[in-house]
Amino acid sequence: MSLARLKNRLLARAFTVFPSLAERWGRGLAADRGAIPWDSPRKPLREATLALVTTGGVHLKTQPPFDMTDPNGDPSFRELPVDTPQASLVITHVYYDHRDAEEDLNLIFPVERLRELVERGALGALNPLAFGLMGHIDGPHLGTLRKETAPAIARKLADAKVDYALLVPA
Amino acid sequence: MGLAARAVEAVGIPTISLSIVREITEKIPPPRALYLRFPFGHALGEPGNRDQQLTVLYLAFRLLFEADRPGTIRNAGLRWRRETYLPPDWEAFRRLGPGAHGAQ
Repeated sequence: MSLARLKNRLLARAFTVFPSLAERWGRGLAADRGAIPWDSPRKPLREATLALVTTGGVHLKTQPPFDMTDPNGDPSFRELPVDTPQASLVITHVYYDHRDAEEDLNLIFPVERLRELVERGALGALNPLAFGLMGHIDGPHLGTLRKETAPAIARKLADAKVDYALLVPA
Repeated sequence: MGLAARAVEAVGIPTISLSIVREITEKIPPPRALYLRFPFGHALGEPGNRDQQLTVLYLAFRLLFEADRPGTIRNAGLRWRRETYLPPDWEAFRRLGPGAHGAQ
């Protein structure tokens, strides 16, 4: 393991144990004062199709991993069929401690719980495709996320006619 | 996260986001965020705690229907550990929807 990777892993563990570190980091970030879009929900949950989006670095083992060598992160996304067995998914993300999430992927990618909601009649349907991103996007990649990645995911969800989206961070 | 939620909302799909660091969420607020003071990598709680995970989802969907202004950040008020989580109330889940009587 390279020294940089080891440093990231130790930092990730420290952030997990001491939330105040993350809070301090958050206070230092630049604020986005742009207008926040808004659309009113119109359907009861039991009739709605929901799409799941995670920023926990989840992807299929057969897909290229997120690029961990770029200190500004990887602004690309992966399409994740929701019926993928958990054993075929992997987390590539060195900026948080994902040992627990590997044990129970629902912590950052709650497809099993959402499927339970569908079976119980609480949710109409789960969109067959979920979307995986990594958090920790910085520098020039923020522009890529804003102008390319996020709108591309939004278009795909609009084309799929989903009613709502749930976004889960890591 | 905030940027992704905003892009999805902008095409007419209402979004609900989970947040684990309020200070970060406040910098780029998504349309609606449920704040949980949980550690990184644990947005839905502890591994294997199904009741906790379903409680988080219930509170998130309630907020989807109850929030009335963009940038709402609601504190879920849940503790990470030492909290008693009841089994899911499926009837309450099935009542979730728009309007004053949707969520209780």
